[in-house]
Amino acid sequence: MAVREAREQVILWVDLSDGSVRREALPEEWTRMYLGARCVHARLLFDHVGPQTDPLGPDNVLFLGTGPMDGLPVGMGRMSVACKSPRRTVAEGSFGGFFGPEMRRAGVDYLAIRGQADHPVYLYIEDGRVEIRDARHLWGLKTHETDAALRRELGAEVQLRYIGPAGENLVHASPIFGNLNQSGGRAGCGEVMGSKRLKAIAVRGTGGLRVADYDAFLEAYKAFRERLDLATSRDPWTPVWSTYGAPVLARLFADMGNLMTRNAQEMGWPEDKAARISCEPYLERYVTKAKACFGCPWPACQKLYEIPSGRWQGLKGGNYWAGQPVVFGSLLDNDDLDLVLVLSALCNQYGLDIFHVGYTLAWAMECVERGILTRADTDGLDLRFGCPDKEGLVDLVRKIALREGFGALLALGCAEAAKVVGKGSERYCLAVKGQELEGIAQRNMYMVALGIAVSEVGPDHTRWYPPYPCNPNLVSREELAALGVDLDLRLAFQGRNPQEKGKLLRWFTISRGVVESLPGCVFLVRDTLGLDMRPWWRLFTAATGLEMDYEEFLLPGERVVNLERAFIVREGFRREDDHPPLRMQLEDVPGFGYPRLAPEVFEPMLDEYYQANGWSLRTSVPRRATLERLGLKDVADALAAAGVEVEP
Amino acid sequence: MKRIHVVEDLCNGCRLCETFCSSLTNGVFDPAQARIRVLKVPGEERDIPLVDCSGRCIRPLYEDGRPTCVAVCPTGALFYAELEEAMARRLDLELARREHPLFKVIAPWKWPLPWRRPGAEKAAPGEGG
Repeated sequence: MAVREAREQVILWVDLSDGSVRREALPEEWTRMYLGARCVHARLLFDHVGPQTDPLGPDNVLFLGTGPMDGLPVGMGRMSVACKSPRRTVAEGSFGGFFGPEMRRAGVDYLAIRGQADHPVYLYIEDGRVEIRDARHLWGLKTHETDAALRRELGAEVQLRYIGPAGENLVHASPIFGNLNQSGGRAGCGEVMGSKRLKAIAVRGTGGLRVADYDAFLEAYKAFRERLDLATSRDPWTPVWSTYGAPVLARLFADMGNLMTRNAQEMGWPEDKAARISCEPYLERYVTKAKACFGCPWPACQKLYEIPSGRWQGLKGGNYWAGQPVVFGSLLDNDDLDLVLVLSALCNQYGLDIFHVGYTLAWAMECVERGILTRADTDGLDLRFGCPDKEGLVDLVRKIALREGFGALLALGCAEAAKVVGKGSERYCLAVKGQELEGIAQRNMYMVALGIAVSEVGPDHTRWYPPYPCNPNLVSREELAALGVDLDLRLAFQGRNPQEKGKLLRWFTISRGVVESLPGCVFLVRDTLGLDMRPWWRLFTAATGLEMDYEEFLLPGERVVNLERAFIVREGFRREDDHPPLRMQLEDVPGFGYPRLAPEVFEPMLDEYYQANGWSLRTSVPRRATLERLGLKDVADALAAAGVEVEP
Repeated sequence: MKRIHVVEDLCNGCRLCETFCSSLTNGVFDPAQARIRVLKVPGEERDIPLVDCSGRCIRPLYEDGRPTCVAVCPTGALFYAELEEAMARRLDLELARREHPLFKVIAPWKWPLPWRRPGAEKAAPGEGG
C-alpha cells in the first residue's frame, strides 16, 4: 500500500452545509514552525475563527488533527481536537487511542469541519476518500452503542470518534469520545460537534509511514524508552503510575490537605474513606484487564473494569484516574467505590465530562445544604453530601445528558447554573472561565493555582502536568542552564512559596505544548523528559529529516501558548479573568493552616508569569516584540486590527 | 527450541510489537507487514497477539538475543523461552496472581519494585521476557 513520509501533513476541509471536501497539503515550513497537532490547531483557529463566530453556529470550525510523530511507535496515538468553545475560550484537548495513527495511514492528518448538516451525519474516511453518510440511525445512541453499531457497519478494524447523547443535546463541556472510555476536548468540542449534527467520524487506513533516518530513529527510541521503561526509569513514580494508576493520590492527598472534600469546603478526608476508593480495592475487585494507547511503553495506565456484585453488577467501564476519586468521591463525600465507578462509566456512556458533572453536583449539594436549593428544585431527589440516594444520583446523570427536569439546570454547567439560581450560589461554584476545576488542589500547590487560573482552555492540568518535579536530583542547575531552563528547581517546587512559580509554569506550558504538538503524551514526561526535551527532539528530527537545533525545536511551544493567548484576548479575556475560583481566594483551608490565595500571594505570581512570557502585566496581551520574536508579526497586526491594545 | 510465547490476557493492545516488527525489513511502519499481529476484539475487551515467526529477528532492536517484539512489550505478554522455562514462567505468573491483583496487568518478571510484591525477597528486574 501507499507509503508516506512521516513529515508530510495533509488537511481536509469538509463543509457539512454543502457537502464539499477540499484537500490541501500543509506548507512544509509549518512543520518547522508549528510541528503538528495542537500548535497547528492554534494557528488555524486564530486564522479561521474569531470574535464574530458563533461557537454553535455553522462558521465555527472543528479541527481534529495528528502530527508528524503519530503512527510511529512514540506518538501514543495522541491527537488534538480544537474549536472555539461556547465559553469563547480555546476548546482544545488531546486524546490517545488508535484514531490518530489510523488517520495517518489513511493519508489524512487534519480534518477541518465547518458548516452544519440538516440531519444527523457521520464522516467515513477510507484511504483519503471522504463520504458524508446518514447517521439518523445512530442519533440518540450512547457512546458504546455507537461504537458497536459502527463496527458492525464498517468492520472491526475501523477507528472511531463520536459523541454521546450529551453532545447531541449541547450539554455543557461534553467532550468527544473514542475507544469507548477515552475522551478529549472537554472545553466543549463535543457540544460543537453536536451543533454540526455530526455524530461520528470513522476512519480506515492501510498505508505505511517512513521516517527520514531509520537508524537514527531507532537509536533515539532506545534513549527515550530508557527514561520510561519500568526497569530503567529513574523516576520512582513510573512503575507505580503505570500499573496501580493515579487513584493512589486519593490517599496521599487526604494526608496532605490536598483532597477537595464536600465541594472543597474541607481539604482532608478520613484515611479509611480515602482508602476505600483508592487504587488497591479498584485493582483487587473491579479491574478486568489493562489497556494502552497506540505504542505506549507503559503496561497499564488504562484499565477496564466491571462492577462485580450488587445493584449495578455487570456494568462495564474503563479508566479510573486521579480525577474520578475526587469528583465522584471526596467532593461528594462518597466512599462507595461502586457508586464512583458507576457514575464514571455512565458519564462515558452518555458522553458527559466527569468534571462538569462532579463539580456541578457538588455545587448543587452545597446549595441544598445552605438552603439555596430545596427538594422542590431537585425533582424530589435527596441531594446531600454523603450521597444518601444513590439510585437517584445515578438517574440524575441520565437526566443531565438528556436535559430532563433538574438535569436541565445542571446541564448548563456550574457557572451558568449559578447565574440562573443566584442567591449567592456563585460563591460555591468552582470554575474558571466558565469551566469546572479538575482534581488537583490549589491552596497548597501554588503552581497549580496559577496554572488553572491562566489556562487558555479553562482548568486543564495537562497544560503543565505534572505539578511537582519528576525527580529534581536528576538534573543539576548547570545542566538546566545548558538546556535553556532558567529555574531554581528547589524554590520552584516549594508548594506554598510564590517565588519562581511564574517561570516554572512558563517552562511547563511551553514544553508540554511541544509534546502535544509532536504529538506525544504529557503523561510520559517522566524521569527527565519534562526538563530535558532532547530525546523528543532527536526522535522528531530523525523522523522528519528536518534540521533544527534544540532551541528552534522549543519555539513551537512558545508559539502555541502565545497563539492561544492571542485567541482569547481577541475574545475579550484579560488579566482579571486569570484568577482561581472565589472559594480559593476567600477561604483558608480548615485544619491544615494553609491560607487562602490572597492578592498579595497570587498577583506577584501572575506578574512573574506574564513578565516571563513577554506579555502585558496590565492586560495579559502578548507584546508586539514577543510575537515578532516568534515570527508571529501577523498575529500582532491582527490583534491590533481587531481593536486589542498591543503594547510594544 | 526457543520460541515466542504469548500470555493473551496480559496483552494491553498497544501494538508496539506489530509496529516495530513491520519496520524492521524496510524501515516502513505498516502493521500489515508485521509477523506478529494484534487482534483487537470489538468492545475493547480482548487483545490477542498472533505470531507467525520463529523469533529470529531480521534486525533486533537490542543486541541481547531477544526478538524486537518481546523487547518492546511493556506488560510481559510476550516472552522468548525454551518450553521448560516457559512452563516455569507461566507458573510464576499464576502463583503471583493469587497473592496480588497487580499481576492481572503486568507479568511478575516485568515488575521492578520488589518491596511492593508481597512475599518477594529480591528484585525481579524487568529483563523483559
